[in-house]
Amino acid sequence: MEAADRLVVRTIRHGGPWLLVLAVASVGGSILELALPYVVGRTVDALVAGGPSASPAGPVPGAFTGPVAGCALVLAGVVVCDSLQVWAAGASGASASAWLRRRLVAHVLGAGPAMTRRFPEGDLTTRLGMNAEETGRAPEAIVTGASLLVPTVGGLVALVLIDPLPAVTLVAGLALIVLVLRAFLRDTSAIVAAYQRVQGDIAARLVAALSGARTIAAAGTADAEIARVLAPLPRLRVYGMGLWRANARAGVRTGVVVPLLEVAVLVVGGLRLAGGDLTVGELYATARYAVLGAGLGSALGYVGRLARARAAAGRVGELSREPRRAYGRRELPPGPGRLEFRGVSGAGLHGVDVVIPGGAAIAVVGRSGSGKSALAALAGRLADPAEGVVLLDGVPMPDLSRTALRRAVGHAFDRPVLVGDTVGDAIGLGTPAPARASETASGRAVVAAAARAACADAFVRRLPGGYATPLAQAPMSGGERQRIGLARAFAQAARVLVLDDATSSLDTLTERRVAAALAGELRGRTRILTTHRATTAARADAVLWLEDGRLRGYDRHEALWAAHPGYRAVFRTDVPAETAAEGWA
Amino acid sequence: MIWRAVTREPRRLARLAGWSLAETLPSFLIGHAIARAIEDGFAAGRPVTGLVWLGLLGGAWLVAAVGARQSVLAVAAIAEPFRDDLLSRVVGGTLRTATTPPWRSGAESVARSTLQVELARDAFAAVITVVRSFAFTVVSVVLGMVTLMPAMLPLVLPPFAAGLALFLLSLPAMARRQRAFLIADERLAESVASMAGGLRDIVACGAEVRIAAEVGGRIAAQADAARAVARVMALRTVSLGVAGWLPVLLVLAYGPGLGASAGAVVGTLAYVVQSLGPALGGLVEGLGVSGVRLMASVARIRETAPTQEPAQEPAQEPARETAPEPAPAHGAAPDLASTARSAPVQNPPAHRPAPTTGSAPGRVRPRANRVELRGVTFAYGPGAAPVVSGLDLSLPEDAHLAVVGPSGLGKSTLAALVTGLLAPSSGEITIGGVRARDVAPAARVLIPQEAYVFHGTLGENLTYLAPASPDAVWKAIDEVGMTELACRLGGRHAEVDPAALSAGERQLIALTRAYLAPARLVILDEATCHLDPAAEARAEAAFARRGGALVVVAHRLTSALRARHVLLMDGTRVRLGTHDELLAVSPLYRDLIGQWTPDVKQVS
Repeated sequence: MEAADRLVVRTIRHGGPWLLVLAVASVGGSILELALPYVVGRTVDALVAGGPSASPAGPVPGAFTGPVAGCALVLAGVVVCDSLQVWAAGASGASASAWLRRRLVAHVLGAGPAMTRRFPEGDLTTRLGMNAEETGRAPEAIVTGASLLVPTVGGLVALVLIDPLPAVTLVAGLALIVLVLRAFLRDTSAIVAAYQRVQGDIAARLVAALSGARTIAAAGTADAEIARVLAPLPRLRVYGMGLWRANARAGVRTGVVVPLLEVAVLVVGGLRLAGGDLTVGELYATARYAVLGAGLGSALGYVGRLARARAAAGRVGELSREPRRAYGRRELPPGPGRLEFRGVSGAGLHGVDVVIPGGAAIAVVGRSGSGKSALAALAGRLADPAEGVVLLDGVPMPDLSRTALRRAVGHAFDRPVLVGDTVGDAIGLGTPAPARASETASGRAVVAAAARAACADAFVRRLPGGYATPLAQAPMSGGERQRIGLARAFAQAARVLVLDDATSSLDTLTERRVAAALAGELRGRTRILTTHRATTAARADAVLWLEDGRLRGYDRHEALWAAHPGYRAVFRTDVPAETAAEGWA
Repeated sequence: MIWRAVTREPRRLARLAGWSLAETLPSFLIGHAIARAIEDGFAAGRPVTGLVWLGLLGGAWLVAAVGARQSVLAVAAIAEPFRDDLLSRVVGGTLRTATTPPWRSGAESVARSTLQVELARDAFAAVITVVRSFAFTVVSVVLGMVTLMPAMLPLVLPPFAAGLALFLLSLPAMARRQRAFLIADERLAESVASMAGGLRDIVACGAEVRIAAEVGGRIAAQADAARAVARVMALRTVSLGVAGWLPVLLVLAYGPGLGASAGAVVGTLAYVVQSLGPALGGLVEGLGVSGVRLMASVARIRETAPTQEPAQEPAQEPARETAPEPAPAHGAAPDLASTARSAPVQNPPAHRPAPTTGSAPGRVRPRANRVELRGVTFAYGPGAAPVVSGLDLSLPEDAHLAVVGPSGLGKSTLAALVTGLLAPSSGEITIGGVRARDVAPAARVLIPQEAYVFHGTLGENLTYLAPASPDAVWKAIDEVGMTELACRLGGRHAEVDPAALSAGERQLIALTRAYLAPARLVILDEATCHLDPAAEARAEAAFARRGGALVVVAHRLTSALRARHVLLMDGTRVRLGTHDELLAVSPLYRDLIGQWTPDVKQVS
């Protein structure tokens, strides 16, 4: 059994008791449905045989006795089973999907950023969203598909049992339907593609116009732009009508085949009736079974759904290949935030041995791809080295509990992703408060102090709702985002701050102010700054110079600058004229 | 909106009705034909009569097939214009929102809106189809039964009507729960997407437990909503059963007692099982699923595109009316022999709720272009600190002003205020004596940092703001310094692909476009930030020679050296002076210039 099937089976088990109800109701319902034409046919025959003569006028007291009572029971059973089936399908699917999702979310969070390295963000979202839902619906697809096969296959069998001739008629007709559906698939895909192309064209025009929104606003040309975006609309209409026509054609074919099939079965059956080989009731049953049998197509459609669910389960299951990261149980002893890298290799680093004294400000420099970011990630255990070990105040990082580690080390990134409902929440994401930082006065104070140190306070207070502005309503430039990311790290870290190119988009003045805060109120903490800027390197206590993943030098900026042309070259070539600086002025 | 789309062209509706009639012909005939075929034909030993009746039924199905085809096209003729409406609304609404403060781009929701439009179109067509089909089928069946055996009607119609009523009663609850589910599902998708996107940051912050709990809460809410939908669906299935199967039972129980023959019973059952049942099933599915989806999609589209009906915008007017009130006087003396003074930060004037403006541009073309700001204060919201506070500024006709200061503290806001894109919370801004909000776009031009270049010819892009002769276009190209680019692209008639251009090249096109505009007031809001310093100097010089007033929101401090006056903005503290004056009095300015001095230039 493949992994995907195993996951489907495990998901089925978590559909809960509802799944049993679903199975019983589906199978029971389809058996009853299969029995119905026979029971009704028998009743008709019984009534014809003894009906009119027994009760010439009006309903008789015993109208619900005998065969009619049987009918009533079967009908009631069908309705109850149908209803239970719908209920159980929804409820079991919901439970199974929810179970699967909770498990996946825990796993993804446990695996951490390594997950997004393997699965791009949008892909991950699809797997957790649509694919998990489809997998959760697998039990329902299996049960419903199986129970649909009962009446269709059963219908065909019953037809053969009553009279083989109509059955032959039906099978010939079914083959016709399959041909028609295949023609439909051929017809439309080209038009669908053309339609989607025009749709994409309109969307692309809209996105392009949105990128020039300020120009358009200033020029007062919004109406002209709307017309430009909508220019392909007539073409969309043409392809749209083409689609409808293809649809209508196929609909006519399928729409007429089943009824004609039934008429054909009736003709054959009627002739048999005239010949005395069939009763009226049997003729009725024959016609109904023909209709049930023609439903084979939709039953096969469920096989397709099952295949989709299985594929979805496969995609979901792939997520568990990325293992969860384990954390230890140790707490940190008191210490200044001293970091030791011992023989660290992996993720582009080769045998890095270095000790960063507690409380020091260390700049990490090197060309792109030299391993700066890898070193920064290891300093806060965002990744584990393939070889070697990183110690924080003497404790190997993997031995630390998650809380101890994250309270000690804070990261700020080049492109931080802000998580939280409001700007204040986003800054307080790393604070230890069990509730949101924005809900307590002390939490708010911590957030505001961190924001001031990151030069974010001034612009946050200018947002429509200040710190309470929902993130979605606070459009920010790259530099503003970086400042929020810095504030988040400042609010979090007790011992070590890792700034991975985290001031690259700040204008010079703001960067200087942040540098002043780092040298001022944040000086007690170990600071690791990866940077492209010589000024930042010059301000640091020491510079860690990386080249091709190896430690090339570890000294003060001036010393390296004077001694190594290669060191000077790092700053000349690594910074193109058009860096993403937010502004110079 | 939906109703308007349905009733817009009564002729189309009439056509739809005609074809629907043909489509439901078998519903009228089926029971009758089967009953006669058995009764008068096969059972009576006259198979030819039976075959004739069945042949008639087969013919009816063929007619119905043609009717069905034409009905689909008739529905399409109503649904396609509806889609066009929705799409126009989405495009118009998104663009208007994006070009109106607070300039929410909305680019990220374009794909979703497009999808909603398609969903709405499909759902709309489905709803029309099922409602129409249901109505015509019921009428046909009733007529058919009248011709077959009217006495059966009381056995069929009451339970059918009861089931239908039950379903209709459950519809609002169903719609509510479906909508609740869609919302819960969307909220879940949002939180999952935000988790996936922020994985690194969540782990770095040690917020896994918090985020897992938040996402977990949404997972549970979505599952609850799904279960609630399932419960109502189950109830709905019962109503469907009552309407579909109870008549069968009653016909079997009481039909023969009413004197019905076997043929009549089978015929009546055919009406119930073959026509009424499927029609009701279609209605339930159509209204219960497509109807709800239609409502949800239309509601979502309304959110994206708030409104296009002009009558519904009164809420925005007051802010505009109150804008020009004189600002409270400030006591601070000018710190320079100039018209600007620093506003006392500790005493900010009361500011009004977030000023928003309609997207309709002004129409007045002032004769002069002297820019005056008097006591201008602006904040982005009632809870927000002011970005500009009590600013007084007067620019002469031929001004050349550079605006400098740290990013994010009001420079672009000032540009938007002068252009009239934003209305001040208090104070007044005039251009040539006309309120900035009323000035025609042609009288001033603003080039923002993100240059707008669209798919079209280079000529179309350059003459976007005003028509110009080829000579004038080439002169402008030459002046601004994009000759090389223009030649490389292939001249005025060459098609431009914005994605193939660098940011700097797009800025050159936008600058030349601005140069060609007749406006006498040009505001460059970091419009040269992607050019190299030499190209920037050349472009700025071209605008300085061009005449009229020039305001440069500076990206590099070299812009300040070229300008006659410099406005230094640091939060709400504002100073105006020449470069030398500011060097003399402002430590911040000295700091900025010091940062720029050549010994650290290598790292820029």
